[in-house]
Amino acid sequence: MKVILHDLDRQYDNMLESRCDRLITADGKYAPCQGCFGCWTKHPAECFMNDKLRQICRVIGQADEMVIITRNVYGEYSPEVKNVLDRSIGTSTPFSTYRGHQMHHTLRYGKHPLWKVIVYGEISEEEKETFRYRAQRNAVNDGYETSEVLFISDLKKLEALV
Amino acid sequence: MKTVFINCSPKKRFSASSYFLSLQRLFVGGTKVTETLRTPADHNRILEQLKDTDAVVFCLPLYVDGIPSHVLRFMLVMETFCRQNDLHFYLYCIANNGFIEGKQNEPLMHSFEHFCRRAGLSWGGGIGIGGGVMLNVTRILFAVDIAILILNTVLSVLNTGNFFPKDAWISFGENAALLLYFNLGVLFYMIRMGSAISSHKFFGKKYTRILIPSFVFIIFADIFFIIASLFEGGLFRGWLAKKTV
Repeated sequence: MKVILHDLDRQYDNMLESRCDRLITADGKYAPCQGCFGCWTKHPAECFMNDKLRQICRVIGQADEMVIITRNVYGEYSPEVKNVLDRSIGTSTPFSTYRGHQMHHTLRYGKHPLWKVIVYGEISEEEKETFRYRAQRNAVNDGYETSEVLFISDLKKLEALV
Repeated sequence: MKTVFINCSPKKRFSASSYFLSLQRLFVGGTKVTETLRTPADHNRILEQLKDTDAVVFCLPLYVDGIPSHVLRFMLVMETFCRQNDLHFYLYCIANNGFIEGKQNEPLMHSFEHFCRRAGLSWGGGIGIGGGVMLNVTRILFAVDIAILILNTVLSVLNTGNFFPKDAWISFGENAALLLYFNLGVLFYMIRMGSAISSHKFFGKKYTRILIPSFVFIIFADIFFIIASLFEGGLFRGWLAKKTV
């Protein structure tokens, strides 16, 4: 299953929807993660907050190809996209293991092939480097075999990249 | 000299960030102000404190290899505010994560450095702490140790009239020394960063952790989550199952 998570205007929804099995629009109309670990310990793979991200980890967890389209914010995802990722830690279990020579949680949905990030907006060379590093870290953390980061200055080029 | 400490944990009580913030405050001189950042309603109150400050210390948890979304929202507002008010204070960061490697906070540190560049602030550096949740538990264990010592002293006075039960004090001393040992790496860097904050100097990025072997840490972490999941009921609701929508 190919999942696209994006923070673009609604005008891109139709085009993106035709390119994936599941589209997640990060519009910011949901609450931030409260760090309670309830999605591990109380109601597995489900958030206690009853908004549209309540079961988002079940969607992201089943992605073979995860594509994230985000504007650059200090070499980090936009707050809207990051909010969705913060609320999706139920893709893993509370048990710990070693991956990439570091401690991580075991994966609820197993391994996946590709974590792809498309970054738009003004960005420095240092921020690009941070984004590549971050995507690598995310891929290891979430059990993706490879990560790929693309930077685009013109959103007209987006259609050819997703 | 004024330093503003911002506790960015979304938790209201007993967060690891509040623990590390309290420790860092001990080693910084001058006027100290502590603020909490949990919702957008906190933004204006915190920004007001920034107008006359010399340094800011962000204390926050690592979320998905990066900065929690509610903190990112504030940073975007703060960037504009700092530029409009021509502010150039030093900014430091204390980040903690649940895994044992403090180095896992590195992407977060990089983003704070980029933020400082865009906001026109002076990047002072920070400390990345591994095993933050477990270190936070050590303060609770220390409080329990004190309670046990007091109870033993009261029982000793009632039974024998002895106000100094030697065995109870030895046991308390041993436990306190062990808890202190777990925190030594954090304390070492906090003393050094406190000196840098007080003298407006660059500290750099340092990474530390709870001082126990990684494989022991993992066993304790697994036990912690099994017990928590047992009491909260998750263990009986498909704890490790591949849940579908």
